[in-house]
Amino acid sequence: MKKVKEFFRYENAGLLFILPAFLYMLIFVGYPILSNLVLSFQDVSVKNLVHGKKHFVGFANYLQIFGDEVFRKAMGNTLKFTIYCLIFQFLIGFLLALLFNKNFTFAKTVRGLTMIPWMMPMTVTALMFKFMFSTDVGIINYILKCLHLIQNNVEWLTTPRTAMIAVVAANVWIGIPFNTILLATGLTTIPQELYESASVDGANSWQQLIKITLPLLRPTIESVLVLGFIYTFKVYDLVYVMTEGGPVNSTHLLSTYSYKLSFDLFQYSKGSTVANVLFLILFLVGLLYLKITMQGEED
Amino acid sequence: MDEKKITGKNNVILCIVSVVILVLLLFPLFWTLITSFKTEKEIFMIPPTWYPHELNTKSYAAQIENGDFNMFKSFFNSFVISTGAMLIAVVLAVPASYAIARYKFVGRKAMLLGFLVTQMLPVSVLLTPMFIMFRNMKIYNTWWAPVLADATIGIPFSVLILKNYFASIPKALEEAAYIDGCTRMMAFMKILVPVAKPGVIVCAIFSFLYAWGDLAYGMTFILDQEKRPITAGIFNFMGQYGTKWSYLTAFAIVAIIPVTLIFIFMQNYIISGMTNGAVKG
Repeated sequence: MKKVKEFFRYENAGLLFILPAFLYMLIFVGYPILSNLVLSFQDVSVKNLVHGKKHFVGFANYLQIFGDEVFRKAMGNTLKFTIYCLIFQFLIGFLLALLFNKNFTFAKTVRGLTMIPWMMPMTVTALMFKFMFSTDVGIINYILKCLHLIQNNVEWLTTPRTAMIAVVAANVWIGIPFNTILLATGLTTIPQELYESASVDGANSWQQLIKITLPLLRPTIESVLVLGFIYTFKVYDLVYVMTEGGPVNSTHLLSTYSYKLSFDLFQYSKGSTVANVLFLILFLVGLLYLKITMQGEED
Repeated sequence: MDEKKITGKNNVILCIVSVVILVLLLFPLFWTLITSFKTEKEIFMIPPTWYPHELNTKSYAAQIENGDFNMFKSFFNSFVISTGAMLIAVVLAVPASYAIARYKFVGRKAMLLGFLVTQMLPVSVLLTPMFIMFRNMKIYNTWWAPVLADATIGIPFSVLILKNYFASIPKALEEAAYIDGCTRMMAFMKILVPVAKPGVIVCAIFSFLYAWGDLAYGMTFILDQEKRPITAGIFNFMGQYGTKWSYLTAFAIVAIIPVTLIFIFMQNYIISGMTNGAVKG
């Protein structure tokens, strides 16, 4: 007993403060991760989900999904979705960050208000965009017709090619604030004197952007892109509510396909397998992110 | 924002540009709000009307009446679930983040990494195992299931944010308390938590918002529509009455009332949460 007391005396007293949270996460996150891994090596359906014997099938589930056309499609879609989203939300976010970094009267207020989309429940965002992209009542078709960009209403969400555009648009809308705020914060750390001496030396704004802003902002840009990748790659609710993966699987992502396998088709093992592949990819990218952020985090 | 204050013509131009951008960005919300007050007939009019010519509040009234369009119950469910998840997250995360900020205990780095990694988890990985676990725990189809699951989003986020707050509190403050005879626990509760209060509020807000926005857990772990959160209610309604846009948009507006209120009263906390949480990791 005395030994136990001694152990928790100094620095290890911290354990007493962290253990409740840590155990909670171990039970409700750690255990499910392992159990999901086990599931992907078993054959589990409705019959033996809660009770009953679960047979181990080795890599059969993995072999099956890699041969599954929908899985390969979902994999490609997820990559496409993520890359399109990253490009647009980063570019728009960066422009907005540059704008809000200028000290004009409305800067702070407007910057604050542009954060609103990020806080919306994804289900609500999905609903709003589904409405705006709908064929007959959709405001987007109306505006495009007014601008003479299209002749007839586009069936955005029921045409494979255009459905992806619609879900990307909705996700970019959510992602812009996130990019703006992080990049704007990064911009404030660049010393103002650098710009002043550069303009004394005759550098124009473009040169200042290329030679000062971008290089100094690089750590922020890296972490914004990697974090953005992680958050976008695992998007689930938005796409599930807007299209449920359709039409003809054209917007199925790994996350939505995994959900469909498990909770619509009750092929729990296959669903878990897809989820594991998704997790593995995120984990690898996550390591990259840790490498970037942990550099200055040694204390 | 350390640049020189911009004045005169440039200031006016930038203000106008920023307002135009804001209007474009927030247009989806404006359009949803306007639509929720239109009649079904007016929603289908071409060209669309930019404000409701005939004010229709039926879509809102129906939400508190009995019947298919009642969302009040779901709203209440969401509120209970989100509050529960928020309480768990704050109660567990506050001491945990203090430990990380102040003590060099065994396994500190590994645990910190653990919290970081869980932030990157896709829900799909946890859904089936949690589903099985909650059935075994006999809490499947109760509020407890999404409460416990939602808290797993709030905890890592809160720990990572709060550790920065605790780390910024001078050690002397704590040491003075020990000299005055406080135990570790007393010093933590009476001195440190009050000083870190802004951080605690940020965590509470985000834990609440994460839970409020959740669809996957609420939809998967609760079977009965009467117990489901509002997001699941909306999703369900979209499946049944896909084109009743006057009701659907009204639901959307009701679902974002808490978000809007939080935003109006706690904007600064939110911005600090977004920047601290993500950049520093």
